[in-house]
Amino acid sequence: MPRKISILLLSLSLIFSSGCRNSRQIENAAIIENVSVTVEGGQIRYTFYRLSEGEKPWGVTVRAESFEKACKKAREMYIPNMSLAKLELLMINERLQSRIMKQDVEYISQNSFFSPIAYVTLCDGKTMRKLDAEERVQDVIEEQLILLKKNKPQVCIDYLSVFNHLERECEGFYVPLIRCDGEIRVTAKRIYADKTQKNEK
Amino acid sequence: MKDRVRFSSKRLFLTLMLCACAVILLQNYSLGRGGGFILDVIAVFSGLALSFVFFIPSIILKKKTDADLLMLARQRTPRAAVAVSIFYAAYFAYTATFFLIPYTDMFSKKYYPEVSRCVIALLLIAACVYAATKGANVITRFGIFLFAFAMLTNLLMFGGSLTALDFSNGFRIGDADSLFGDVVYFCAPSFTAVIFACLAGQGRGFTVKQPVIALLLSGLKYSLVLFFIRYALGSYADRQEYRTFVLSRVAHFGAYAGVESFYLALATMSVFMTVSLFFCCVCRSAGMSGSLRVIVPEAVFVFLLNLLTKYNQTAEALLTNKYILLFLTFIAAVVIPVLYLFVWRKFNAEKNKHIITEP
Repeated sequence: MPRKISILLLSLSLIFSSGCRNSRQIENAAIIENVSVTVEGGQIRYTFYRLSEGEKPWGVTVRAESFEKACKKAREMYIPNMSLAKLELLMINERLQSRIMKQDVEYISQNSFFSPIAYVTLCDGKTMRKLDAEERVQDVIEEQLILLKKNKPQVCIDYLSVFNHLERECEGFYVPLIRCDGEIRVTAKRIYADKTQKNEK
Repeated sequence: MKDRVRFSSKRLFLTLMLCACAVILLQNYSLGRGGGFILDVIAVFSGLALSFVFFIPSIILKKKTDADLLMLARQRTPRAAVAVSIFYAAYFAYTATFFLIPYTDMFSKKYYPEVSRCVIALLLIAACVYAATKGANVITRFGIFLFAFAMLTNLLMFGGSLTALDFSNGFRIGDADSLFGDVVYFCAPSFTAVIFACLAGQGRGFTVKQPVIALLLSGLKYSLVLFFIRYALGSYADRQEYRTFVLSRVAHFGAYAGVESFYLALATMSVFMTVSLFFCCVCRSAGMSGSLRVIVPEAVFVFLLNLLTKYNQTAEALLTNKYILLFLTFIAAVVIPVLYLFVWRKFNAEKNKHIITEP
């Protein structure tokens, strides 16, 4: 009797567990590992770089006013299965810092699927172009960021610390700034929360 | 047969401590946003001090009779024992749902959003049914393994967050408005007093310091979690659900980051052990230890309550209400044991009178 029951249970579990109607193959899933934010002709452009092993990075660019809208647009138009859980790096053009940094970090803080310790950094236009052309740039930037944090612990390199400093509206704090003069260099830039944004405007 | 097996009371309290720690693992928005670590710690220790009060009637019963409430109910008041059994079955169904809802919600939100909460609940309940058939002795043995695993997970979680500590906000006292609600939240571990009231008869070598140490260690764990949430996560934590989960996610060692899989395993095993112990208590209240005839209907009832919460928001609000839980726990851990203390005293007085008048 127990054997019959166990055979019946095993058969039922095979029937139910083998169904892969909604399965998603890992190759087909669009795992985004890096997002860059640039400005062109006054319009903000978000580029979502997919995890890939090719020589050139594979990215989708959308025009949007914020990261939230960009994610929505990218999902609707280009990558329906887009996954942002493995996002490691958000690179913002230094000219856009006062315009979008706070709202984008705020959006990330409200969504549990983002990793709170993913890196946020400012960078110049040349770095963005290099990122578009070469695959290894992201790794180099991440290595440099870790090194910078080690040498200057006061620099906020991830969403968590950037968000906390922005919330605090303190006198100012340091974020990494990446410049590319042939080779990639990471320095620290002091930025300000609300008070200075108003001054800049 | 399993009813007669006695095991070390220390082991029982080690298990109860781990069950109490499950409360903080499933912590979400329920805690106040006063923003002060000092008031949080005051809430923790006030809540746990109140929880100790819930242990007192069962401790007296255990010390005086070396039995538990359910044994006394069956021996001294056979007619009322049925009503007592039904009340405890309903109480444990409520408390099991109280734990399963945040656990399944966290699991589905943080790990598998496409999986229904009910499926996760069903799988966990099935595992708990199997564990409950093995009896409380086996579950408390599992507690030893879980304790070792909890130590490792906590070491990783706290050790990996040390470098992220930021004290620039200082040790603020905080806002006292939410203090009452927080104290009630930290009274939730008083449900362990009900488990003790039901299983005390199976423990041997009981001393009063055992519940005190178990509650103090739970308080230490709670305080550490709150400390790291406040100073490693900061304001970011206020935006997030299941803040202890986020804490496990930010823990990092160099380039390696996130111990959320350890955290998930610990939360799963803690909830599993807690619900299994509830089923054991229900069996004991029915006087049929490890019997599927008792466990399966109780498990089905718990699952139906979970199913109900999926479709009915009011039911969910009622089944996760910390005030209702506290009120029911008060009845189960204080009122009924105190009544049985009086029954026992009356029985003893009658017995002594009989002995005196006999010659």
